[in-house]
Amino acid sequence: MGHVTPMGGPGMYVLDTASWRVVRPVMDKNRCVNCGQCLAYCPVGSIYAEGRQILISYDYCKGCGICAAECPKRAITMVPEVE
Amino acid sequence: MGERMALTGNKCASYGAALCRPDLIAAYPITPQSSVVEELAGLVYSGALDARMVQVESEHSAMSVVQGAAAAGGRVFTATSAQGLALMFEPYFRMSTLRLPMVMAIATREMTSPETIWSGQQDAMSVREAGWIQCFCETNQEILDMILQGYMLAEDPRVLIPVNICYDGFYSSHLMEGVDVPSQAEADAFLPPYGLPAKLDPREPRSLDPMTPGELLTKYRRSHLEAMQAALEVVEEVDIKFAKAFGRSYGGAIEAYRMDGADYALVTVGGMTGAAREVVDALRGEGLNFGLVKLRFTRPFPAARVREALAGVKGFAVVDRSVSFGWDAGPMYVEACAALGGLLAGKAHFSAIGGLGGADLSVAQLAAAARRLAGAEGAGRMDTLWLSEEVRQ
Amino acid sequence: MSYMDILKTAPQVLTPGTSACQGCGGELILRRVMQIAGANSVFAVPPGCMAGAGAVGWSDTNGCTAPMHIPLLDNTASFMSGVSEMYQRRGRGDVNIVAIAGDGASADCGFQSLSGAAERGARMLYVCYDNEGYMNTGFQRSSTTSRGSSTSTTPSGAAINGKEQGAKYVPLILAMHNIEYCATASPSHMPDFVAKVKHGLEASKRGFAYIHVFSPCPTGWGFKPSESIAVARRAVASNMFPLWECERGRWYMSENRSPITMAQFVEGIGKFSRLDAAALEELQEAASARYELIRRLCAK
Repeated sequence: MGHVTPMGGPGMYVLDTASWRVVRPVMDKNRCVNCGQCLAYCPVGSIYAEGRQILISYDYCKGCGICAAECPKRAITMVPEVE
Repeated sequence: MGERMALTGNKCASYGAALCRPDLIAAYPITPQSSVVEELAGLVYSGALDARMVQVESEHSAMSVVQGAAAAGGRVFTATSAQGLALMFEPYFRMSTLRLPMVMAIATREMTSPETIWSGQQDAMSVREAGWIQCFCETNQEILDMILQGYMLAEDPRVLIPVNICYDGFYSSHLMEGVDVPSQAEADAFLPPYGLPAKLDPREPRSLDPMTPGELLTKYRRSHLEAMQAALEVVEEVDIKFAKAFGRSYGGAIEAYRMDGADYALVTVGGMTGAAREVVDALRGEGLNFGLVKLRFTRPFPAARVREALAGVKGFAVVDRSVSFGWDAGPMYVEACAALGGLLAGKAHFSAIGGLGGADLSVAQLAAAARRLAGAEGAGRMDTLWLSEEVRQ
Repeated sequence: MSYMDILKTAPQVLTPGTSACQGCGGELILRRVMQIAGANSVFAVPPGCMAGAGAVGWSDTNGCTAPMHIPLLDNTASFMSGVSEMYQRRGRGDVNIVAIAGDGASADCGFQSLSGAAERGARMLYVCYDNEGYMNTGFQRSSTTSRGSSTSTTPSGAAINGKEQGAKYVPLILAMHNIEYCATASPSHMPDFVAKVKHGLEASKRGFAYIHVFSPCPTGWGFKPSESIAVARRAVASNMFPLWECERGRWYMSENRSPITMAQFVEGIGKFSRLDAAALEELQEAASARYELIRRLCAK
């Protein structure tokens, strides 16, 4: 998925928003049914599909927690970032 | 071949614009400019002119619509006056700083308050620090011709600055003169089709105006100022090209009339020049060596040519149809003095202000100004002369 | 293609690293609109949160992979009218002309320009993300701010408690311009949102299309970033923000006959934390009246 790593190459304005994150979404693939709700609501576009699989990229995730709040299967947990 | 017609100044602006094959016209009616829009609408609606006509709800939107079209790679035109110009100031400033070339006619008008709709140059003079090139016309022929020249000047790669073609509201906009109207083929032979690329195009995606830090912004400003100075040369080149194509030359950034060996000069802007020519001729007949400097371009200010033209005179008066609130003088007087610099010493000079709010700027008044200058005792600045009804010879 | 397939497969156009706040509804709206419109578009995002967040870029960088301009706060619709006219003139009507502007640039400062372009039927899609205030300059009130909201220019004081006026209902005003397509949408209702953006893009080839989107703002309104979608969902569920569309005079709405109360909507939202009973009652009346008005417009 091109967009979750720097797109456009040189000349693209890209902030390191991952550095804002204090909690990170961790997906429990045993619970996840790949419905894509988390992908649909992620404001940053950090959740992507690979085939049927829904995956989280941490490149730009700001840790807002919308994906965890919206997951109908409660498959995403916000876990504190540790140094 | 072209055609000889009796036309108002506004018709000349419309015909001039139409001959330049604009892609898009957007304008909002305002006295005394309205008939420019009406005429162009007529041409578009009749099918005589293949252009988009956008009937906007304000001058702010007029300038915004043409800005969008210019950013998308179109040749555009609009026209306005006074309050309309004031309302469009925000996108007006942005047009020049985006470096999008276009031509806008201004049928100049006094600014309110008090309430007025009549002639004056306060509107155009008030926006002279907005980065546009400004040209003032004396005759209706000149209006038409300068619209054609305006596009060539604005679109020159050394310039890329929008151009105002200004002419006196009512006096020029509404009065008829005999005018040679070029044929479309003649206009096409003079002005090439618009050749600048679109700034907003998915085929070459770019951000237009990202947030710009001061260091970079300063470079842009400097480049704009340098292009303004470069425009002074291009003005002269375009005048020569135009003369070759149509046999009419206006002298470039200024016109020096009977300035050879002149002891005194009147400096004029726009339509008042006609009356001033008569005064110069009459006084020459009396043995008073008067000449005339017509400021055709006020932005960029043709400082070197003004300096050269006035270098040898004993005295000069600059006649303004507007005021500079900071100086107890007219704005072009202040700028002429600045252009002369050290050469000012030894000359008698003053600012004359008249013709505000549609008041007549008569031959008698200009003659009175000239006689005052000729009678000056010694050098230096004299009090500002207000050309009112009482000022007669 | 289902809405989910579009969201999964359509390439992103907006930069992934914007400085929009965590949980920003505006960023989600901007990102999705740009993704659905695609890179064969010309975008305009006027001053406001999304331009400030980097949609237009910074210095010599771009904020997206498509042509983008930051017009003036008050000329987005007229600027894009000119762009649209030129693309039509050049026979390139396939290029989407898309404006994405906040409520300040749409409902207030830019309202004249918006109304003018709508009346002329200028061909574009204009999306207003309504976060009920001037958020980029520090959460000041706008004409779409709800009554009783505590903002930085209508604080909750002892003398005056929050905003004294109700919100101006802009989408209905736009619909009364008899435009090609007018709709309201919420990021909480993504299938509906995607369908409306697609519909709006199609309509923009024939005339003016306007979508007014509820844009929850965690930072300005005072709620947790993770709750953005939940807040937007409650706005729809309470009938404060009914979802409807109008295409050339034909009205449709998503009916909601058992709404939650406005008391339930405002719960946990900081800007309403000092709302008094009278203001809450007025909010409830406004929501009910708005829903009833839309319902009658949509009645067959």
